[in-house]
Amino acid sequence: MRREYVIKYLGYVLLFNAIFLFISCLISVSAGESSALPLFFSGMICMIFGFFPMIFVEPIPELSFNEGISISVIGWLINCIVGMLPYIMWGGEFTLANAWFESVSGFTTTGSSILNDVESLPRGLLFWRSSTHWIGGIGVIMFVLLILPTSQNARFQLLYTEMSDLSKTNFGFRAKRTIYVIAIVYIGLTVMETLLLTIAGMDFFDAVNHSFATVATGGFSTRNLSIASYNNLMIEVIIIVFMILSGIHFGLLFNTLAGEKQNLFTSKVVRAYLLFLFTGTVLVTFKLYFDGYFPFGESLRAAAFQVVSLGTTTGFATKDTAHWPAFTQLILIYFMIQCAMAGSTSGGLKFDRMFIFFKSIRKQFVLIRHPNALITLKVNNQTLSEQMEGKVMDFILLYILTFFITTLLLTLLNVDLFTAFSASVATIGNVGPGFGQVGSMGNFAGLPDAGKFILTINMLMGRLEILSIIAFLMIGRNR
Amino acid sequence: MIKKLKYKILAGFGLLIGMLILAGTVSILEFARLSRSVTSLLENNYKTIKASKSMLEALEREDSGILLLILGQRKEGQNILRSSDSLFEAAFIIASDNVTEPHEDEYIGEVSHDYSSYKSEWEHLLVDVKTEASIAWYNDTIHKEFLEVKNAVNELMTLNQNGMYNMASQLKEKSHRALMPGIVSIIAAVVFSLLLNFFISRYFVSPIIQLVEALQNHNITSRSLKVSITSKDEIKMLENEINGLIRRISG
Repeated sequence: MRREYVIKYLGYVLLFNAIFLFISCLISVSAGESSALPLFFSGMICMIFGFFPMIFVEPIPELSFNEGISISVIGWLINCIVGMLPYIMWGGEFTLANAWFESVSGFTTTGSSILNDVESLPRGLLFWRSSTHWIGGIGVIMFVLLILPTSQNARFQLLYTEMSDLSKTNFGFRAKRTIYVIAIVYIGLTVMETLLLTIAGMDFFDAVNHSFATVATGGFSTRNLSIASYNNLMIEVIIIVFMILSGIHFGLLFNTLAGEKQNLFTSKVVRAYLLFLFTGTVLVTFKLYFDGYFPFGESLRAAAFQVVSLGTTTGFATKDTAHWPAFTQLILIYFMIQCAMAGSTSGGLKFDRMFIFFKSIRKQFVLIRHPNALITLKVNNQTLSEQMEGKVMDFILLYILTFFITTLLLTLLNVDLFTAFSASVATIGNVGPGFGQVGSMGNFAGLPDAGKFILTINMLMGRLEILSIIAFLMIGRNR
Repeated sequence: MIKKLKYKILAGFGLLIGMLILAGTVSILEFARLSRSVTSLLENNYKTIKASKSMLEALEREDSGILLLILGQRKEGQNILRSSDSLFEAAFIIASDNVTEPHEDEYIGEVSHDYSSYKSEWEHLLVDVKTEASIAWYNDTIHKEFLEVKNAVNELMTLNQNGMYNMASQLKEKSHRALMPGIVSIIAAVVFSLLLNFFISRYFVSPIIQLVEALQNHNITSRSLKVSITSKDEIKMLENEINGLIRRISG
């Protein structure tokens, strides 16, 4: 493996972070805040480390798979390390463990927070916090590929080590076009949501921050009470719509606008995904209404927001779901496990895998009755190979095993079972809030530092997909 | 990419030096802020707290002076009242010249107003020698006014004490911010040095070793020099020159 090429790409990652750090610094300077110097210093560190490899390393002709996966995995780690610099330098509630947790949670678009008082943060730091979501949403490597003139081979390697397995099969574009499609949809959704939220009465600064968090399916808010603090139906409806859009495969969104044949309306996975969200909303609404929690209208409003928020792995809140009936909490936990669609900005298990899983179960039922039958699984009229089916099943098993181990480790640290389980599910799925101590109106500050570090590993596993991390760790052994 | 060796090395060390200068500058700026905060803590809030204490002391002495007048010790009472009044006025000037907290001017105004009202009640006793002061007058008028002024001074002192506490809390944050750039830059400099070492080894040392090995190989086999040097700097030029030299020697 040519380490100098890996280092050069990591330099690009740092330079991209520097841009957002300097923008955040400007916001701090204009508001005369104490976070200006920490942001500026962090930006300069990124600049220096980013430019440094350019002095030595010649243009990169092509990359191997190992180099691609190393850039992808180390790139995420570097992002998270750089992301914590302004927090730890500024101080306040940010200890080393807290700063690392907030940074990893930001970049992996998890949205879990350790902050008791978000509103006491300077605006520059709030913007940086939301920026980590936006950068992490489609991945900094993707941005680097968008900006830099890169060879076709290098672009292919990086794109396909950064993206989920299932996203690749669904995109019908070449590597270069895929990057542009993702970028156009991503930036387009962000701009549109910012405008609509501003029109609906949200302050422009808050609108930008919430758009970053929605489109990246992150969940960091600039308010202590998240979206509940606005108490504005129009804002909630806009955010619900954009959470759903951000949870759908970006290629399908682009195709729909471009008038292509394979689009939102023809995709069976999208139909099933929306049906699941609708069913979940209906069930939660009726339970809340008949148990006398809220009147029907308010039940529908709260249920729709929470189901979509957790079902798309965003994690915004309008109500404290920690006090809802157990039935509704279990439905919400299902959506936290299921996550949103592959090819979107969401992390975790992804709905496409659940869709294949359900189809595979149906196939097994048929095989019990007709053992000699030859059955092929089809997704969107495309045959799914046995290898891909096996890979999906393996992934689901590994996923369940991972959050079981995390739950076990958290209980070892004396965290109560419900908090430990929901925190594990919420972090590996990159959702954000869980239940119990880490509910939608609570935070992760009360967990032990060791628990916070364990959960950040979960977040990275969820974001990078467990198999990518295993592939990275196996590089040495392959050699 | 820089092509000359000396510029590559210079740029590498330049960036390292730049980073350290930057860290130093940020730390100096933060320490300067910290120093200003300490100065303001001592000079601003503490000055007013001290002045408030003097005002309270003066008020107590004035109260004693009035009681001496009531007891018939006219001369001694008048002397105490005069000196206490001077002490209060001097302390009040210090406090009113040192408005540092939000709405502090309103508190100063209240002290001034209450003291003027209080003083107007006993001021005539300093010049009037015939009027006898009575306990009933003290209870009905003087003591009430005295408590009002005392309360106003106490409020002014509490405001400054709170300000001092807040400033002390901020000092902790500021000292953290002054310290962190140093710590971060030490870690960054270590990482940077390791990277610089890697690049020097990869782009300077390794090609030279390859050239030496290729030359040793040439001495044994007389084959042309084949070294995979990818850079376009002086080492690549050296490889080309050696190859040319070998070709000329071999005829």
